[in-house]
Amino acid sequence: MNAMNSSQPHPSCVLQADEVAIHYGGVKALDGVSLTLGAGQIRGLIGPNGAGKSTVIDAITGRRRLTRGRVLLQGEDVSALGAVARRRRGLSRSFQRTSVFGQMKVRQQVELASHKMGVADSGADADAVLRELDLLRLAGATAEDLGYGEQRRLDLALALVGRPSVLLLDEPMAGLSVQESHDLARHLKQLISRWSVSVLLVEHDMDVVFGISDEVTVFELGRVIASGTPAEVRANPRVREAYLGSAA
Amino acid sequence: MTFLQVAVRAIAALALGAAAAAFVGSDAVLSLLAQATIYALFASGVGLLLRQNGSASFGHALFFGGAGYGVAALLKLQAMPAELAILATLAAMTLLAFLVGLVIVRVPGIAFGMVTLAMGQMAFLSTSRARGFLGGADGLSVEWPATVFGMAQSDLFRPATLFMLSWATLVVVLAALALLLASRFGSVTEAVRDNEERARFIGIATLVPRAAIYALSALVSGTGGVLAALNTGFVSPESLHWSLSGMTLMMVIVGGFKTLWGPALGAVVYFLFKDVLGDYATHWMSIFGVVLIAVIVFAPTGLAGLLQRLVRRRAPLAASAAAALEVRDARA
Repeated sequence: MNAMNSSQPHPSCVLQADEVAIHYGGVKALDGVSLTLGAGQIRGLIGPNGAGKSTVIDAITGRRRLTRGRVLLQGEDVSALGAVARRRRGLSRSFQRTSVFGQMKVRQQVELASHKMGVADSGADADAVLRELDLLRLAGATAEDLGYGEQRRLDLALALVGRPSVLLLDEPMAGLSVQESHDLARHLKQLISRWSVSVLLVEHDMDVVFGISDEVTVFELGRVIASGTPAEVRANPRVREAYLGSAA
Repeated sequence: MTFLQVAVRAIAALALGAAAAAFVGSDAVLSLLAQATIYALFASGVGLLLRQNGSASFGHALFFGGAGYGVAALLKLQAMPAELAILATLAAMTLLAFLVGLVIVRVPGIAFGMVTLAMGQMAFLSTSRARGFLGGADGLSVEWPATVFGMAQSDLFRPATLFMLSWATLVVVLAALALLLASRFGSVTEAVRDNEERARFIGIATLVPRAAIYALSALVSGTGGVLAALNTGFVSPESLHWSLSGMTLMMVIVGGFKTLWGPALGAVVYFLFKDVLGDYATHWMSIFGVVLIAVIVFAPTGLAGLLQRLVRRRAPLAASAAAALEVRDARA
């Protein structure tokens, strides 16, 4: 599935962004970005800092109001909906900076998130997600007492409960050691494949992005400059010049 | 906290209050205790808002004094029986707070405090100048009927009875809050307080829970206001003044707001200070101010937090330590 410029709903896409623009006065944080995401697909978003990767996640999840364009989730236009309504329709995200509930217990907050997603047995769902992310043993701990890597996984757990159809991950490996990054990437890959979640992944760790993505989209100055399989993107001269460098 | 745990603690607290009412012989002491308990309710409302919404109100006297005025006005109009007047006032106060809350809880940080201060002072100035029906700056007598809740006035207004009534109300209110906050609603409000943006992204509509907490805190403080009107038989604009809100906030800080009973403890400490030091020092508030600073610097969780730490130090395997060990073992 390629980044595209279609204004028609694409039947096989779980997520479609059409000509999405976010302007802050004269600053164009996003300037007509279109992309799609198929079922079970992982699309990596890469680009230099300030290219608009996190902004596109904010736009899709309803954290930022669109200046122009629209967002379709399972064919439904959700552009006018708020973040809560989009989450309840299966669009979930993690944050660039760890975003958990510091004073709540680990299981308490994951179970609450599952309950808010309408899962009948929210306790079992929470335990399943915590087990997947190797956090079940810390279920009774307060979030602010966890280590950084554990908090990153908890952030991910909050996004994964209720089995969202689309998961938008904003630099999930940020601040992790090489080993922690590889462990989390492996966990993610397994989970995504088993639960058929579609993922938009913003990440600066190129090994992770090219290692687990089906497709990669490259941003520069609020625009998409390239899109394709990891091999195609690696070989793209413009991408090498703008971001990856000649050594890639 | 389970229902059984709350019930056991509530029964123990009620027994303690009954023992105090029975064995404290001095009417002056009982009056002081009744006053402290009434302000403990007021402070519990302010503390609830701080604990669950993370918001400090500088104008909660609006609900404390407003509830007293509401009951006094309805009784003056002879519109309904006293019992119904109390319930109607508290219901109206809670509804009003919820509707106002839907607007003002959107305002973050210190600006929220300024909005509450403005609202409180609007009520104070309006009431001070309403010379006709509300009595203006002179205030208004509360015309309680001969019997309230089946009790004759002569029995009800005895210091021991007033103390026990206030104490029982405080215990029931704190027990009800403990159960409510242990429920799903408590988790939702905790999540919203900790990280409102994240709460939205796990599917929580954050506005209504925040407004609900504001309304609940108004109800609790308003209940204190009704008891104050019962205790003094009089309401005046001073009961709406910002200085009363500020004083109650001091009680909350001194007592600590991480626990539900912290603000109540702060109120009791405040009145003890006032009573003991007031006999020796005209400017006893300056001494209380020093205590306030000391608590903020050395015990940010208040006296309640300090007491909890002392208890835990005496029992090294108490809950938090055990939890810490559990986490460490799990990581190992």
